Amino acid sequence: MRIKAKLKGDVVKVKAMAKHAMMTYDIAQKKTGSRDNANFITHWDGSVNGKVVFDASTSQFLSKNPIVKYEFKAAGIKKGDKLVMNWVDLKGKKKSGKAKIK
Amino acid sequence: MQRRNFLTLGAVAAASAALAPALQATDFRQTKPDAWTAKSVDDALKALYGKTLADATEAHVTVKTPDVASNGGAVPVDMSCDVECKTFTLLQDVNPESCVVVFEQNDMTVPKNSVKIKMKKSGSVYAVAEGKDGKLYFGKKTLEVALGGCEG
Repeated sequence: MRIKAKLKGDVVKVKAMAKHAMMTYDIAQKKTGSRDNANFITHWDGSVNGKVVFDASTSQFLSKNPIVKYEFKAAGIKKGDKLVMNWVDLKGKKKSGKAKIK
Repeated sequence: MQRRNFLTLGAVAAASAALAPALQATDFRQTKPDAWTAKSVDDALKALYGKTLADATEAHVTVKTPDVASNGGAVPVDMSCDVECKTFTLLQDVNPESCVVVFEQNDMTVPKNSVKIKMKKSGSVYAVAEGKDGKLYFGKKTLEVALGGCEG
């Protein structure tokens, strides 16, 4: 997972990209003949210093290799702190990424 | 002395139990499974909030997309909300299921997100915010999609 986090004024702006095929049920049906082969990211979270700053539940309609941009308040967060992001997909695969806040 | 120890322990346990849900992120796919199989915007909203679009006010929420998206496989959507909200949901009315993403908000998050979504054909995207006052607010944008994005 690629993550960029930048402290700007009183918010931290984050851009994250996950590498994932995001196969919808329709595409799975067409390409592999079975809806059960569909696989997509279902849940994302992000935290700094143990505090949740981002939380999203997603369906199959995010684009392939989805990019998510979000912001959170910078209260108590300084440059150099680590942002940890995780995602989990429909098959239960998990991946996590880290980035230093610049 | 023993009793005092016991009470302190109890207080600590209660405090940590109260803290735990605050740190725990909610997976809406598990808590609201019906929302993800709903075929229409209204059904998805009913599953998520128990309300429909008719109960929501068209205010406070802005949705930005290009007027014509050349590639339905990656339609950029910017959504933002200017009131404090509990959850922020993105829906559309052309794909087999309606719900795209639910952002859960806490006191750290800012309801301002951008995602790229798939759209099968021309249609509308809806961003719905559940305000802290319990009301629903929504913003809507209709766009044209030149090349559908669900065929793969």
